[in-house]
Amino acid sequence: MKLSSLRRPDLIGWGTRLPALRRPYLMGWPSRLSALRLPRRIGWRDHGIGAALGTAYVVALLATARSIGFTRDESFYFRAATSYFGWWHMLFARGVDALAQSAIDGAWSDNHEHPALVKTLFGFSWGYLHERFHVFHDASTSYRFPAMCMAGSAIWTTYIFGARAWDRSAGLVAAVLLALMPRVFFHSHLACFDVPMMAIWIHCIYVHWRAQQRGGVGWAIATGVVFGLALETKHNAWMIPAVVVPHALFVHRHALVRGLRAGRLALPTSLVSMAVIGPIVFFALWPYLWNDTLARVQWYVNFHLNHNYYSIEFLGRNVGGPPAPKAFLPVMVLATVPAITILLFAAGAVDRSFDAGRRVRAALLRRRDEPPRADRSETDLLLALSLAVPMVPFFLERTPIFGGTKHWMTAYPALALFAGRGFTIALSALRRALPKLDGRAALGTRTALFTSVVLAPLAVTAHSTPFGLSAYVPLVGGTAGGADLGLNRQFWGYTTQNAAEEYLNPRAPRGASVFIHDTTLGAWTQMQREDRIRADLIAVGAPHEAQIALLQHELHMNEVEYAIWVAFGSDAPAYIVRHDGVPIVSVYRR
Amino acid sequence: MTRLESECSIAVVVTAHEHPPTDSGSWQAWWAAIIPVAGLLELGAHCVQTCSVTPESDWKAARDYVAAQATSDDLIAFAPRWADPLGREYFGSDLATIEREARADESRFPRAFEVSIRGAHLGALADWTRDAQRRFGAVLVTTWRNPAPARVLDDFVAMVNPERLQVSIVQGNRETDCAFVGAAPVLSGGLGAGQAVPARRFTCPGGGLVATSIVADADYYPHRCIYAPPAGGASLVRLRFLGVAMGHALRGHQGQYIETDTSPQGPLVTITFRVDESIVGQAVHRAADGWKPFEFDTTRLAGRRADIVVEVGVSKGERYPYCFEANTR
Repeated sequence: MKLSSLRRPDLIGWGTRLPALRRPYLMGWPSRLSALRLPRRIGWRDHGIGAALGTAYVVALLATARSIGFTRDESFYFRAATSYFGWWHMLFARGVDALAQSAIDGAWSDNHEHPALVKTLFGFSWGYLHERFHVFHDASTSYRFPAMCMAGSAIWTTYIFGARAWDRSAGLVAAVLLALMPRVFFHSHLACFDVPMMAIWIHCIYVHWRAQQRGGVGWAIATGVVFGLALETKHNAWMIPAVVVPHALFVHRHALVRGLRAGRLALPTSLVSMAVIGPIVFFALWPYLWNDTLARVQWYVNFHLNHNYYSIEFLGRNVGGPPAPKAFLPVMVLATVPAITILLFAAGAVDRSFDAGRRVRAALLRRRDEPPRADRSETDLLLALSLAVPMVPFFLERTPIFGGTKHWMTAYPALALFAGRGFTIALSALRRALPKLDGRAALGTRTALFTSVVLAPLAVTAHSTPFGLSAYVPLVGGTAGGADLGLNRQFWGYTTQNAAEEYLNPRAPRGASVFIHDTTLGAWTQMQREDRIRADLIAVGAPHEAQIALLQHELHMNEVEYAIWVAFGSDAPAYIVRHDGVPIVSVYRR
Repeated sequence: MTRLESECSIAVVVTAHEHPPTDSGSWQAWWAAIIPVAGLLELGAHCVQTCSVTPESDWKAARDYVAAQATSDDLIAFAPRWADPLGREYFGSDLATIEREARADESRFPRAFEVSIRGAHLGALADWTRDAQRRFGAVLVTTWRNPAPARVLDDFVAMVNPERLQVSIVQGNRETDCAFVGAAPVLSGGLGAGQAVPARRFTCPGGGLVATSIVADADYYPHRCIYAPPAGGASLVRLRFLGVAMGHALRGHQGQYIETDTSPQGPLVTITFRVDESIVGQAVHRAADGWKPFEFDTTRLAGRRADIVVEVGVSKGERYPYCFEANTR
């Protein structure tokens, strides 16, 4: 292999030996293969790759959507989404009538503790893809579809981010490892806000990053718009300024200092855009705020600043109120993110830390011989902030446990990007270790390396479905290991569907009454409408009213199990839904 | 644009703002080996873990063994804690009885059959003497002997029936009897609904009741107990246990419904035990105490049968979801 042939500036693929593609014996279609070659510059073809990754993810989510029952929160959002869509329908049909406060409040008061964007998307998807065009047979899939698409978009953006920041292999591995985090995969199915928030977070960080790189009004406006969409997605968006403001100020520090010396404050355009356009988008897309605006915004902010806490098992103890145990976040990350992803992340992070340390040292020593800084957009700093900021609140004294890992999922794209960087280092080390390999052997070796890092996450993620909240990674012993450690088994009562599939549907007497425990009546009813649960079964709210009682295992739910013992006069379940032998739902029968 | 090239002429292209791998030491050189090994190790661990589920046949073999060995006085318990529902499912409520599962403590059991998987053991049996071990595949049955078992003479929880217990509400000088109902509607609910109350119970005027129930302690372990919620204020719940066999001690535990306010400002519950109008002992309960033991010396009453009057009152003016158990030994 001649070096000269590799120096073609316009040809490169992720780790592929491009000259080999020119050999006619490869496939005999040199002209077609050349069309597949990727130019060195990251561009629309990479967006094609990112879109393909995202689409594949959405397909995987759709393929597994029916295996996951409905969570408590989804049942509320289904209802709110339908209500919001109804308002839009009224707006198109009856114009200004829909703008009366009574009409707005009637439709938008439902679930007004969360912004409207994502639920509006759920509603439009339901209205068009289920009700009108029958694209989806299940209403629930149509509600869930926008969140799945946003998950796919997060994969897409992560790929592009990694490809632009480092190289295509980093982008590819980052995107795949993000997709193959079991908890991310689970939450990506749901008509909830957590994965959409993760998606809009990385979109916002990416657009902000591009705005720093490219400058210009277009990217700045885009940053403001995306930030507004983030604000309209979930309140986690309040933390985005803590990422982008210090980053932008650092990027533009020299200009800022120069401006201050000249007696003027020159703020980065993107920040101004975020400050101006962001709130406008937030306000414009949430009709509930169009009346009594200040009072309602204040209520919304107060609701989340004084949010109640949820009970969750951690290391065998039930914890709830603030402060959350300091070990909660690190332990849960290690227990739920595949170890290979963490390892690659550590490598990437160490690599970037060395680099940063060297630059700081050089700056302190004012070394003139140090090469000029290439990355003027300070990517490492941005990603470090994007990783750290979503996690910091969980170490504060006032922060309770709101739930599981989903509340810091916004950090995971950055974690995956550092992991992608770690893979690039491994790839580089492989090349140094095996300098004589070329052609197909080299390609095979690199493919094997890629396979070795994605196989375990793929297997673990696939196996975790549909018990995504119960499953833990092999580092802690899998699902049983998580149970040994006393980690939370589940929440939201969504595993009733599994109990139905394994026990209720085949074995319950006709018309039996079922105590549905943590499942909401809305979720139960929707599962019956979609033939997930037999329609003749009757949901009841108390064990003593039931012939069959379900108990979704969570530590603090034990009191409900004891109530079942008293009501049924027996402590022996008739059946247990298990994952890897660990009880998920106990089914009691009179 | 810059390009990084290795000796073997493999190219990785980075853009102008991008970073080639930093030459941060020899640690990177190991990376080519560590990463695939780590990835495959994780995959292997996943395969092993997901294939090592305890088969049903092991549980059933263990059940048959324990069923043949255990007497009614023995404890049968499961470890780790999360396997308890599996144990109850496989062993059934004849062996994994509510009395064993929701025991007040382990002190009364002379022997325990600990049925465990994954090498787990119950901390409560740590001081007991190991008599025997039998393995049934992945299930290990360990027989433990209690070095100092307590001989229970009478268990108050077992006496909640009209033959052995009279219940009344006392308000000042007025005492109103509570009738025993054998088939009242069971009271139960979901999370936060309060302790369930069975069909067999004493019902009092004004909504009070006394019945056996199960309370969850602060760690959410179950304990059978006598649910005797005091109405608050000057009102007392009075329980008269008839013909109790007395020994050298009266021992018990008290607790409250788990979702009750556990702040220090919460109410105080006082339980008083009397025999022949003289106080045997009195214990005070705060919600933050959890499932807390108490014990009184009854040596002076040992060997005789006595009616024991138990009075429960609360410092604040509202009904308090209180539960206690007691026994003589």
